This record gives sequence, structure tokens and C-alpha cells, in this order.
Amino acid sequence: MISLKINGKPIQVESGTTILQAAKQLGFEIPTLCYHPQLEPYAACRVCTVEVKNEKGNKLMTSCNSIVEDGMEVQTDSDAVAQARKINLQLLMAQAPAAEIVSEMAANYGVGDTAFLSENAEEKCILCGLCVRACEQVAGTSAIGFANRGKDRVVTTPFDVQNEACITCGSCAFVCPTGAITMDDPFGREVIHDEMTLGPDKAITVPFMQAVPNAPAIDTEACIHFKTDACGLCAEVCEPEAIDYSQKDEIEEVEVGTILLATGFKTFDASRIAKYGYGKLPNVITSLEFEKLSNASGPTGGDILMQDGSVPKSVGIIHCVGSRDDNYNKYCSKVCCMYSLKIAHLMAEKTGAEVYNFYIDMRTPGKGYEEFYERLLEEGMHLIRGRAADVSDWAMNEDEEGKLVIRAEDTLVGAVRRIPVDMVVLAVGLEPQPDAEEIRRKFNISCSSDGWFLERHPKLAPVSTFTDGVFLAGSCQGPKDIPETVAQSGAAVAEALALIDRGYVELEPNTAFIYEEECSGCKTCIPLCPFSAISFVEDKNVSEINEALCKGCGTCVAACPSGAAQQHLFTDEQIFEEIKGVLSYV
Amino acid sequence: MEQLNTEPTKTTANAQKPFRMSVLVCAGTGCVSNNSFKVMEALQDEIKKHNLEKEIQIVGTGCNGFCAEGPLLVVQPDEIFYAQLKVKDIPLLVEEHFLKGRPVEKFMYTPPEGEVAIPKMSDIDFFAHQRLIALRNRGLIDPEKIDEYIGRDGYTAIAKALTEMSPAEIVQEIVDSGLRGRGGAGFPSGVKWQLCAKQDSDTKYIVCNADEGDPGAFMDRSIIESDPHSVIEGMLIGAFGMGASEGFIYIRNEYPLALERLHVAIEQAEKYGLLGENILGTNFSFKMNVVRGAGAFVCGEETALIASIEGKLGEPRPRPPYPVESGLWGKPTNINNVETWANVPIIIDRGAKWFASIGTETSKGTKVFSLVGKINNTGLLEVPMGITLRDIIYKIGGGIPNGKKFKAIQSGGPSGGCIPEDQLDLPVDYESLSEAGSMMGSGGMVVMDEDTCMVDVARYFLTFTRDESCGKCAPCREGTWQMHEILTKITEGNGTLNDLAVLEALAEVVKDTSLCGLGQTAPNPVITTLRYFRDEYLAHIEKKECQAHVCRELNTYIIHGDVCKTDGKGCGVCRRECPDKAITGEKGKAHVIDQQLCGKCGVCYDVCNFNAITIE
Ligand SMILES: Cc1cc2nc3c(=O)[nH]c(=O)nc-3n(C[C@H](O)[C@H](O)[C@H](O)COP(=O)(O)O)c2cc1C
Ligand code: SF4
Ligand code: SF4
Ligand code: SF4
Ligand code: FES
Ligand code: FES
Repeated sequence: MISLKINGKPIQVESGTTILQAAKQLGFEIPTLCYHPQLEPYAACRVCTVEVKNEKGNKLMTSCNSIVEDGMEVQTDSDAVAQARKINLQLLMAQAPAAEIVSEMAANYGVGDTAFLSENAEEKCILCGLCVRACEQVAGTSAIGFANRGKDRVVTTPFDVQNEACITCGSCAFVCPTGAITMDDPFGREVIHDEMTLGPDKAITVPFMQAVPNAPAIDTEACIHFKTDACGLCAEVCEPEAIDYSQKDEIEEVEVGTILLATGFKTFDASRIAKYGYGKLPNVITSLEFEKLSNASGPTGGDILMQDGSVPKSVGIIHCVGSRDDNYNKYCSKVCCMYSLKIAHLMAEKTGAEVYNFYIDMRTPGKGYEEFYERLLEEGMHLIRGRAADVSDWAMNEDEEGKLVIRAEDTLVGAVRRIPVDMVVLAVGLEPQPDAEEIRRKFNISCSSDGWFLERHPKLAPVSTFTDGVFLAGSCQGPKDIPETVAQSGAAVAEALALIDRGYVELEPNTAFIYEEECSGCKTCIPLCPFSAISFVEDKNVSEINEALCKGCGTCVAACPSGAAQQHLFTDEQIFEEIKGVLSYV
Repeated sequence: MEQLNTEPTKTTANAQKPFRMSVLVCAGTGCVSNNSFKVMEALQDEIKKHNLEKEIQIVGTGCNGFCAEGPLLVVQPDEIFYAQLKVKDIPLLVEEHFLKGRPVEKFMYTPPEGEVAIPKMSDIDFFAHQRLIALRNRGLIDPEKIDEYIGRDGYTAIAKALTEMSPAEIVQEIVDSGLRGRGGAGFPSGVKWQLCAKQDSDTKYIVCNADEGDPGAFMDRSIIESDPHSVIEGMLIGAFGMGASEGFIYIRNEYPLALERLHVAIEQAEKYGLLGENILGTNFSFKMNVVRGAGAFVCGEETALIASIEGKLGEPRPRPPYPVESGLWGKPTNINNVETWANVPIIIDRGAKWFASIGTETSKGTKVFSLVGKINNTGLLEVPMGITLRDIIYKIGGGIPNGKKFKAIQSGGPSGGCIPEDQLDLPVDYESLSEAGSMMGSGGMVVMDEDTCMVDVARYFLTFTRDESCGKCAPCREGTWQMHEILTKITEGNGTLNDLAVLEALAEVVKDTSLCGLGQTAPNPVITTLRYFRDEYLAHIEKKECQAHVCRELNTYIIHGDVCKTDGKGCGVCRRECPDKAITGEKGKAHVIDQQLCGKCGVCYDVCNFNAITIE
């Protein structure tokens, strides 16, 4: 422990503590410009200067990097300190007149204006080097650095050209005290709609609000530590020391009696319908992107903004994108009409824009849904019956200049209309997950022709599958809204529990089996079994049927060229005997 | 052969003297640029012509010191000193002196005020008051021949250190000698060595700082050029004392001759088993590296130098940690200046007591200075600490040329201070110089006469430090720039008393709060000129007058009509040369300057052959 006095107050701190840290413990504020607790001290701005008395006399020292010594007497605000700060702040004011933090700091010392000559009134950078150190020490890239000597010193990239090494982490802009470094979109966009995915904003987050366990996780794709090996700030600040970068995804095997499939859906990829301009025209977004934009914890704080940062004055919402369409999905996605109406309502409420909905049919079955639709009609929403033909930026008159033009046949009016809007929301439909087929195989269940998992019976067994013990819940089985999903999940859980309670499954008695001695090991039967019940026993060179999986369909029995595959109750012998029996009466 | 005030050797190089005469031709950078190689060639030819090769030996030496008089030639054993030789003088010289034994008076050095030539080197004032320790071999050996160094007791100190002394004893010897760093700060070298020796680390480094970025300074270069082995030997002793096994010589790239000689010396030392593995058969090994600096002044600062050797941006970092704790690649590193290292072998050889007997209470030994500016004998000199500035200027330097009056001497390089006439009896040591507002620095000395404007001088030095500031810390980067702006404003006649107040306050803050030595000392020229020559600042500001007529914006050029008409007969040269067409007049008649048009370039004043134009 080191004992020292700061402004007359004694304090004991651990050795290795800086004067700045010690002063902070006592509640003395020392101004700093080039200091950041997570970066190595650089001691360049000199505004954290304090006066130190030791055996050699009084000395001005920078507190951010100077380590305490026994018996030190520190003055954080003596006359000499104030004078040094005043002059150094005035020098910085003259150098970077646009750096507000400097003039604010100077004002605390009664300095209103600098006594020195200014060259560039626009200059913001005070060359504190925080950005350079953040890039080196946090981002681990050194994409930016200092160039030139003395007054010509600047922060820049090597050779002043855009640096490939930059991982666009934004650490530099984040630490810059003056706003001299900003993160700008190369196309000048204020809001980048393509980034409004449902992914996390930060590299470490609680994945979503109701996540179980409710603990943050690192997105290794976004995390600087996994890109450059640097940073590690989260581990530094995490007091319980819970961060472990070496953790790997693990595969755990769990034995269970029942399985509930709730793998959900994916939204239709709107760029597949080129004529709607998604991905090509600015301000054409999907319904999901709208949700992110409108979320209070989203990147715009819930404001609905166009890419240039302005609020749309007119918006078109196109229903049935990818649904009820012979070219894509024939089925109705069921939820889009209602969510489109919700979007229309929110849009009008938040932006005051004129909102146009383009629908084929308005499908609003369900409690209170029709009433909501009625309400919107009363609110004066434009509802145009007809599939939108296309969205373009091709203006035919002045009103359409600079707008997105939606062309659609208004079947109620019987005319083709062109509606210019600022923003277009595409109500994308629901599709099975891309890996649904794989899952289906794994669990021995079937899919409908659209790719949704098939229930055992649409009316009598809507949550069961053809595989005993495997149940379905939610939109993996077909498009559903939230209340329906919740209700169905409840049912699936109840069925699963009933099975668990019983403790066993009943098998069909007519399962197939293989006579080992007859089997030639030709493997003909294996791919044919629709329930993947047959496996091959390498050491015996024969096929084997798992009778718990076998449904007794007999496919293998019919196909086996050596007659090794037989079925209980229907062995050749039994059948021949039966035939014999029947014939004996003739 | 007793050499001047040079330290006598125990074994003499010329024990069995095969030659009748040795001709020592200065091959220092100054003389080389004055054609000394050509002179040497001519000499060789001429000697061959007279078949004197067996009798007369020609040696190219490092800088002799009296650079102002180059190319120089010293003939031993009689110590006859020839100055300003030309190729065409050689035949006569060889014939008269070398053949007939009659030294040629007209090639000898004649002091500016004297009438008679002085034949013997040690009789020349420039040499008589010097004491050569660091430069003990200058002008006496061929720096490219290790045998000549060994002949003058070279490498006996390392032999003694390795065989008769323990590392601790070596360090103690340096502590006792009172040797202080010659690179500027004057930190006691022994104390630094002790700190380094104390560090517990398997790897330690030592560094020789030969960056020498001060304009006009050439002490370190001369030492390396004239006696590279003394530095190598010093480093070997240091390495053994501190437990280091690798060393770096950081030398600026602009010193090609020094670099060349260093490489030759290292190669020869390696061949002799004096560098590398198992030196002199002991188990002490040492590897020497030469690193070329890119030439930024600030890279001479030790932390910037370390960054530079490591291949990083050469900018200083705050200390502590000091290099002896955490230097090159985080390992304990002892950095010393060239001259500091060159002193080490002789201290070990002759003992700390002997060294400590030279100099003053706080500053021991000698110091090498480069003396330039308005002084008769410019050159390189080594004097015992404690000598007065007056002795340096008048006895060694031979006073001010052209009968002008002395005004100030600036010591310590571009960030030293200017010392006025009434302080000339100051003994030259670390403390006295800094009390006077200046510093020892690395040993640059610039003499100024009455034609110097002290405001302009301050501005001149600030131009250098402003341009050399690395730009890391705000007070130095911005402060030197602003001080320079204010000084420029004053020299242009636009300064106010408020500017002066701002300048003074700023200078103090830059000095007190800059990160490294560059910024901390950069205001010295301003502070000292304000302290000793404030009246000049006031004259510039209040009377818009520059007494030395250096600040052209403040000059008023006046043609004295009568002189112009009678003496110059209205020659009209000024009229034709004036770029602003401010002069009117006809041939044969007096000319006049239109002050409204005059751009104050001073051309008219320079071209008038009849002194008809004066500056008011
Ligand atoms: C701006 C600046 C430039 C310096 N340049 C040199 C130099 O050229 N040569 C040198 O030996 N020391 C130079 N120094 C001093 C070194 O930092 C250091 O003190 C010295 O090399 C230590 O050696 P010494 O103790 O033998 O003097 C410089 C210091 C500063 C602040
Ligand atoms: S955004 Fe680029 S320059 Fe800035 S800290 Fe990250 S990597 Fe470095
Ligand atoms: S850009 Fe910002 S963080 Fe970087 S040096 Fe300038 S002021 Fe400091
Ligand atoms: S004092 Fe000058 S040279 Fe030294 S670190 Fe600061 S800016 Fe660089
Ligand atoms: S905060 Fe300490 S020098 Fe900048
Ligand atoms: S170079 Fe010849 S005397 Fe200096």
C-alpha cells in the first residue's frame, strides 16, 4: 500500500495506481482528454496535469500515467495547474476550434476564447490518439495511425487510402471525444434498411428478451476478439469472470421418450420477385425489417425512417408477397393480411403518412380481426383490391419524380392505377424452414407437398405424427398466427405428457424381421424402408430391422430378393398355410 | 613522442619507429569536403616521385578539430601544423620540408590578429587549452586500422575488465569516476549502470546513441570517425559490467563516413576476437548491431529511439518506466551517448580517481564541444569541465572575427539558452549552465556577435524545434508553433506588449508540461533571450526597430543623396536591382527610394558599392 496526500487528504492505495485513479477514489475530478480507462495511457493532451511535491520540490506531472509514490503530495487544482491547463486548453482550442469538449473544458477555467492563432475553424481532431489506440489495442488491427510530424500530424490510414485492414468495428468513432471520427455509410445512407435483420446489434447480447437461459451470448461472427484476437473488453469488465472465449459449441446426447418439433418457419425471400425491386430500389423493405425499424429498442429507436433519414410521407404495403401465387407458393400464409393491417395502422400513427394497402382478398377470420379491419377503413386507410404488378422508380409525371411507383390493377374500380409512394413494405409470406426435409427424414415423419410437416390426421390427430412420440407445434406444421401456435403447442405438450405418463408405446404386431442366415447383405431393403427402420450390421454382413420403428408396411418383405425379410403374422409359411386352409374347403 | 595534451600512452605506438616522418592528413568530414582526399593523393604521388615511401608514412586520420582551417596536415615527430592546403602546394611542401627538412612557413597557420605563422601544433591557442580524453586518439591514428588503436593502449581496458575485475567493480568504478551522460541530460552514468545491473532479467541490452540531430553538432560523428574502437571498447566494458550480451549503435543515416568506419571497426574487432563469442578467451560474449536512424531529431530521445529500433513510430513515451527497467522489447536497456561510451575505457584503464580529479565538484572529466558561429576558430574541441566560456571563446576560439563585439553564446543545441557577455566567466559545467537558463546539451556552441538579432535567433531555433516536434503532445506540438508565430509577428514589427506576455506565459507552460526533453527545452531560447535581451524585444515592439538590422521588415533603407551623387555618380545599380521598382533617379544624379513602394528586401543595400545606402 502506498500512502499519499491529495489536496491535503490522506489516502492509501495499492502500488501501481495512477494519480488519476487515486484522485478519483477521493472524489477529485481531474479533466482528461486523451485518457480512457480501457486503453493504455498516452499522456499527450497534458490537461490532466497536477502539481506534485516530493523531495525534489514541486513538479507538474500528468496524472493519467504517473504512478503514485509514497509520501507524494498532490495538488489537483493549484494555481500552477490551473495556469497550465488554461494554456494547454487554449492551444487545443486554437488547433481544433470545432472540438466542443475542449471549449467546454476551457470554460470551466474561465477561458472564453483562445489567445492563440487558429488556422482551420472546422478542425475537430485534437490528436489525442484515442482512436489510434482503440484500433490497435481493442480492434487489434492498427488500420489507422498517425502520419507526419509536429503541426502536420494527422490521424489517417496508411497512404491516406481506405484501409482493407479496417474491420469497421467503429471503436475509433466510439472513443473519439470530439466527434472527429464518424462511421459513415459509403453511400451516404443514414439508415441502412438491409441491416434490419433480426440479428443482434452487438456482438454480445441476450439473444432475445425471453431467452432461456437469460444470459448474454457472444456472436462470434461479429465479435472483434474472434476476428483479430484483440479486444476482450467484456472479459475485462465482467466481475464474476463469466466470459470464456474458449468455449465451443457442444453436442449433447439426451435420451428422451417423446420429441416435440417446433422448428417454425422462414419468411419468403422478397428478392425472388424481381419486379417488386427488393434489394435494388432503396426504401423497399420487408415486413420483418419494418418490425425492427419500428421497435423502440431498434437502431432508430422506433422511428420509421427512409435511408436518407427522412420520414416517409406515403407508403405502399403489398400483401401476399410469395403467397397465393402460382409462381412461388400457392397457399395462403394466413397471417399477412392481419399483420399488414397492423403495419398500416402503426405506419399512419407514427409517421402520419398516406398508407396504401394492395390486397387480393382481405382475410380476417378470427376474434376481433374483422373489427380491426373495419376500424382501419374508418381511419381512412387506402385499400386497393388487386395484386400489385410492380414497383419501379420510373416517373411518368412530376408527381412521381423521386418516388417509388406501384402499379396495380384496382379490380373494384376496374382500372390500372399508378400510385407514387416514398416507401414500400412487402408483406412476405411464410415458408417451411430450408432444412425441413432433413428434419423430416431424421424423425421419420412426412411433409405435405408444400414442405410443411404433416400431422397424422388433420382432424383426429392434429399434433401427432406417423412416428410415435414425435409431436408437432407451431408453424413448422403450417402457417399460423401466435394464438393458434400457443394453443397448438399446449395440445402437443399434453399429448406428449400423456405418453410419458403411460410409459410405453404400443407397436403394431405385424412388424417385419430378417432371417439372418438367409440375408445376403445386398442392402436392397435399406433405402426402401419409409421409416428408416433398417440398418446394416457390418460385422455380420446382414441387414437388421429395428422393430420399434417398423410400421409393418411390408415394403422390404416384398423387395427382398433372397426372401430373408419376413413379416410377423404374414410370413411366407403362414400365407401358404392360409392359402392351403382356404383351398381345403374348395 | 608526447602528444599535445593528449593522454600519454603506456606503450608507444612508435616503439620501433620504421619511418622517419609520419604525415597525418585529416580525413574528417570537414576536411574531406575541403578536398583533403585530393591533397592526400597528390602527397602520395609526390612522395613516390621522390622515392620517399620507405621513409615517410601517410596516415588518414579522423577529425583533428580545427575544421575551420582544413584541409589539415600534421607532420610528426616535429608536430608541424599545415593548414588550408591545396593540391598545388604539395610539390613545394614535399621538396622543401620532407626532402630538405625546411618547414614551409607560408603553409602554416597564422592567427587572425597575429603576423607570424605558428609552426608547432601545440603552440597554437586553439590546441593549447584543450585536454583530450574522449578524443585521445584523434588525429593520431588511422581509424580504419585496429592495430593503431591497439598500439595506443586500445583494448587493454577490456582485457583488464575481463580478467582483473568483477562486473560490480566495473560499475563501481564508473560510479566513482563521477562520469555523467554526455548526450544532454547529464544523468550520472554509474547510477544508471547500477540500476541496469540490478535488473533481474536473462536478456539485457545496451545502446549507443549516435543520433546527434542538433544542427551544427558533430561531436559524436567525429568521435566515431576518428576513433570508433573507443566506443566499441566502452560498450564492451559496459556490457560486461551490466550483464548484457547484445548492443546496438543507433546512428543517423546521414553520417556515411562514420557508418563506414564503424562497420570496418566492428569487422576488425570481430576478426581479433574482441566481439562475438568468448571474447579474449573468456566466457563473455557480445553481439554488436548497427541500426541506422532515419534522421528525425526526436529519435535521439531515448524512448523514441527504442521505438525506432523496434521498428515502431519514433515518438517518445512517458517515463517511468525508464529504459533501464523496460527498454528494447521490454527488456532492461542502458542507453548512453557516444562520448559517454568513449570515456569508459580510459576510466577503467587509468582509474576513477584520476578521472574524478579533472573537472569541477559536480561535473567530472572533459566535454567535447563544437564551436561555430561568429568565431575565428570554428571546430571541435575538448576541454576540462570548469573552464570558463570566456576561455573557450577568446583563448581557444580566438575571439570574434572582424573586430565585432560579442553578444551571446548559445550552448546545448537548438534548445539551449543564449548566455550574454556578463555571464562569460561562468565555469562550464552542468549546473552552472542550467542556472544561466541554458544547458550542456550534447555540446553545440554557437557564438553570436553584435550583428545578431536575439529575437530572430529565438525565432530561428524555434523553427527547428517546431519542425522537429513529433507532434504527440499538445504543448510541444501547438506551443512551439504558436511561439514561432508570435516571434515572427514581432520580427515583422506587428508584435504587441500583449503578445510578449502571452509568449512568456506560453514558454513556461510548454517547458513545464511537455512530454519529452524536446518540448521541455524548446522554449529555452525564448526564455533566455527574454531574460537577457528583453530590450531587443521591446525595441521591436514599441519602436519597431531591430538594432541589428536583421529583421528586414523593420528596416528603412535610405539613400544619402550626396554620397550617391558624388561617390557613386548615380550609378543606378540599385534602381535596376530593386524588385519593387521603388528607386527612382537618373545617371549622375542622386537616387531616392519611395518608402511606400519599398518591399524591404535589402537588395539595394547589398549592391551599392559606395555605401550610399544606410539602414535606419
Ligand atoms: C529531443 C531529444 C533529442 C536527443 N538527441 C540525442 C542525441 O542525438 N544523442 C544523444 O546521445 N542523446 C540524445 N538525447 C538524450 C537521450 O534521450 C538520452 O538521455 C541519452 O542518450 C542518454 O545517454 P547519456 O546518459 O550517455 O547522455 C536526446 C534527448 C531529447 C529529448
Ligand atoms: S473502425 Fe476500422 S479504423 Fe476504426 S477502430 Fe475499427 S478497425 Fe480501426
Ligand atoms: S480523431 Fe478523435 S480520437 Fe482520434 S485523435 Fe482525433 S480527436 Fe482523438
Ligand atoms: S515534447 Fe514534442 S517531441 Fe516530445 S513527445 Fe511531445 S510533441 Fe513529441
Ligand atoms: S489525459 Fe493525461 S495527458 Fe491526456
Ligand atoms: S574535419 Fe579536419 S579538422 Fe575537422
